[in-house]
Amino acid sequence: MKKWMHMTLQQKLITLFCLTSAVILTVNLFTYSMLSQMMGRVESVYTSNVNLNDLSNGLEELQAAMSAYLSTKSSDAMEQYYRSEQEYRNLIDTLNRKATDNEILLTEKNIYSLSQSYLELTGEIIQAKRGRNVEKYASLYDEASELYDEVNTFIYSLNNDQFRNNSETYRALAESMRYMEMITIAVLLLVLLGNASLIVMSTKMITEPLKLLAATANEVAQGNFEVQQLPVEQMDEVGIVTRAFNQMVTSIRTYIEQLRETMERENQLKEREFLMQNHLKDAQLKYLQAQINPHFLFNTLNAGAQLAMMEDAEKTQQFLLNVSEFFRYNVRKDDTPVTLGEEIRLVDNYVYILNVRFSGEILFEKDVDESLYHIPVPGMILQPLVENAVNYGIRNIDWKGRIELTVCKKNDRISISVWDNGAGMTKERIEQVLSGELPEETSASDSNGVGVRNVIERLKLFFDDQAQMDIYSEGLNMGTEFVITIPFTGEEE
Amino acid sequence: MKKKKMTIFLLVAIFILIPTALTVFGYRIYVGASKEIEQPVIYDRHYVMITGDKDGGLWDSVYESAREEGEQRGICVERFGSGLPVKYDRDQLIKMAVQASVDGIILAGDESEETISGINRAVDSGIPVVTVFNDCSGSRRQCFVGSNYYHVGEEYGRQIRRILQVNPKSYTQKILVLMEENPKDASSNLILLGIRESLEQQLGVTRAISIETAQVDNSGSFSAEEYIRDLFLNEEEVPDILICLSEVYTQCAYQAAVDYNKVGDVQILGYYCSDQLLDALSKDIVKATITPDTDKMGRLCVKALEEYQQTGYTNGYETVDLKLVTSGDARKLLVEQQKEEEEK
Repeated sequence: MKKWMHMTLQQKLITLFCLTSAVILTVNLFTYSMLSQMMGRVESVYTSNVNLNDLSNGLEELQAAMSAYLSTKSSDAMEQYYRSEQEYRNLIDTLNRKATDNEILLTEKNIYSLSQSYLELTGEIIQAKRGRNVEKYASLYDEASELYDEVNTFIYSLNNDQFRNNSETYRALAESMRYMEMITIAVLLLVLLGNASLIVMSTKMITEPLKLLAATANEVAQGNFEVQQLPVEQMDEVGIVTRAFNQMVTSIRTYIEQLRETMERENQLKEREFLMQNHLKDAQLKYLQAQINPHFLFNTLNAGAQLAMMEDAEKTQQFLLNVSEFFRYNVRKDDTPVTLGEEIRLVDNYVYILNVRFSGEILFEKDVDESLYHIPVPGMILQPLVENAVNYGIRNIDWKGRIELTVCKKNDRISISVWDNGAGMTKERIEQVLSGELPEETSASDSNGVGVRNVIERLKLFFDDQAQMDIYSEGLNMGTEFVITIPFTGEEE
Repeated sequence: MKKKKMTIFLLVAIFILIPTALTVFGYRIYVGASKEIEQPVIYDRHYVMITGDKDGGLWDSVYESAREEGEQRGICVERFGSGLPVKYDRDQLIKMAVQASVDGIILAGDESEETISGINRAVDSGIPVVTVFNDCSGSRRQCFVGSNYYHVGEEYGRQIRRILQVNPKSYTQKILVLMEENPKDASSNLILLGIRESLEQQLGVTRAISIETAQVDNSGSFSAEEYIRDLFLNEEEVPDILICLSEVYTQCAYQAAVDYNKVGDVQILGYYCSDQLLDALSKDIVKATITPDTDKMGRLCVKALEEYQQTGYTNGYETVDLKLVTSGDARKLLVEQQKEEEEK
């Protein structure tokens, strides 16, 4: 069994074929040899009768030859007599000569002895004939004829006995042959049955693991890797394939596990990075807002405005209210989106404050589509641009500074433009500002508000990268235009 | 696993046990069918027993005992001519036995010239001859084995006396002795003499009763049976006591007595004791029967021949005892036979 387990498929099939063939061959050979032996015996059954017939014929020939010689005394007859005598002697030599308890053999002995007497007698007759002793050979001839009849009677009797015996043997043989026929058929059927069951069982032993493998492979093909390990009992090709399949499934399972773990780790890393960025932005925003959130100043200014109102200093009161409103905006709108209208209003406040500070040096004009006032935007995006235009555009010029704010809708997008007729910018400077290469300190320290870069970042975060900032300048002293384009997200009022 | 083992066991059974069973079974059938002639026993000498046309249970019994005795002594005893399709007479058979160069002849003798010359011819050829049952005193036979016929007659006389004693009024009864018609055979006369003298001794000369004899013609094959039936048919001839001096006569008389309703009317005294006669004896149809010891007879024949072969001499006369079987004996014998059969 162990050896069978270690055989290859080819060896198994060959063994199976050889075994079944050998069994059938053995059974057939055995049956054939048995039947052939029986046939041989059947053929030999009547041989003894045939031999006795020969004996009888030999005796008849001898008697005939003797009579012929007595009649003719010819040398031919003489020769024939001696030939017949020799033949008959040869024939009777095969007979039994011993006394036994077997009747047939005993009769053979009697035939032999009587034949010997007969041969002696014929010899004497021939001698008497040659000696022309007529009286003697005539009387001896009668005696010999009598003896001839007697020997014939014995042969006839023996023939009958043997025929009876042989018939019994023949009947027994015929009967046993019929039995053998039935046994042979039965045995052949049994062996065929045995062979069939052997083949069925052996092929089942070979194909069963193959079927199991196919079913499991099908399951794996449909995506279920959680299959049980297939049992490997045999070491043939199917066994090897099954073991390889088991290893393959295990490996695939391990790879999938590893892949999942890697992806999870990557996701976690990305999430963390994103959160960190968010926090950073949040921190930066809060920091910036903290810089421009002088809560205390706002309350103080309110108190100043009330004082100015009590003293009837109307311009001071107006100024303080504007300053107060400016700072309140910062206090109130620190983390929530604002509308475009509120932003424009903040710009108005800021420009008013500056005009008070710098005695109305700044000419501020605005062209705004009021239907767009409700559009939500991140807070503090216009004021820094206007502040930027004041500080870097028109502060140090010799001519009258002018700032224009334009808000209009173009093809489902809203364009917000802040233009000044100030110092202008070089192309390199524009690129530095837009790409954020300008050091933060430079961009933020000089400003009392939020830097341009910060505006760009927040616009991108707010509008998911759909906002755009462009800076246009013809060159130095040719003025600058900051254009923000954002998507139109609501209906016009 | 258990199922697997079972399967393997079954396969082994099919592939090993079946061909083995086939081999054994087929071989047995083959051996049974091709039963060879049993290895014959080879004997040193070959004796033949010639009874001629005499057959019946008595001779079978004698031959059987001779054969058994021969087997023990390493001699083959053959009933010569019995299986031949041609019925040869005794003299021809003697001649053939001599020509077949046998080692000894046991012969149912008579006093005829042919038998004497046949025996002498055999003896001349160096073949010893023993006569049995009936002698051939004129020949040079080596030995005669048989009973004393005078004694047989005496025994019959005693049995007649016994019957007469039971039935004393019938002194004038008719007694008939059935004898073979063979003038050369002295045995019948000796028996008759024995009967007469025995009766004279027992009853006295004056009261001697006449005994008739009937010579049964044996020339025809079935003449004895016809003769006896004729006897029973003729009321006047029916005897009161019928003595049969052969086995066949006894059987015929017994059958005729039954057929013609003469049982009891005719008292039959028989010869030899076959199974059939035992039955008749037990039913009292046959009063008594006298039989020689056939077993001893056969054995003595072989013994005498063997003695002669070895020493060149043997006794000229070997006596065989007589046995009387009465109805009582027959019943006992039958019971014994039945017991033996049951035991078997």
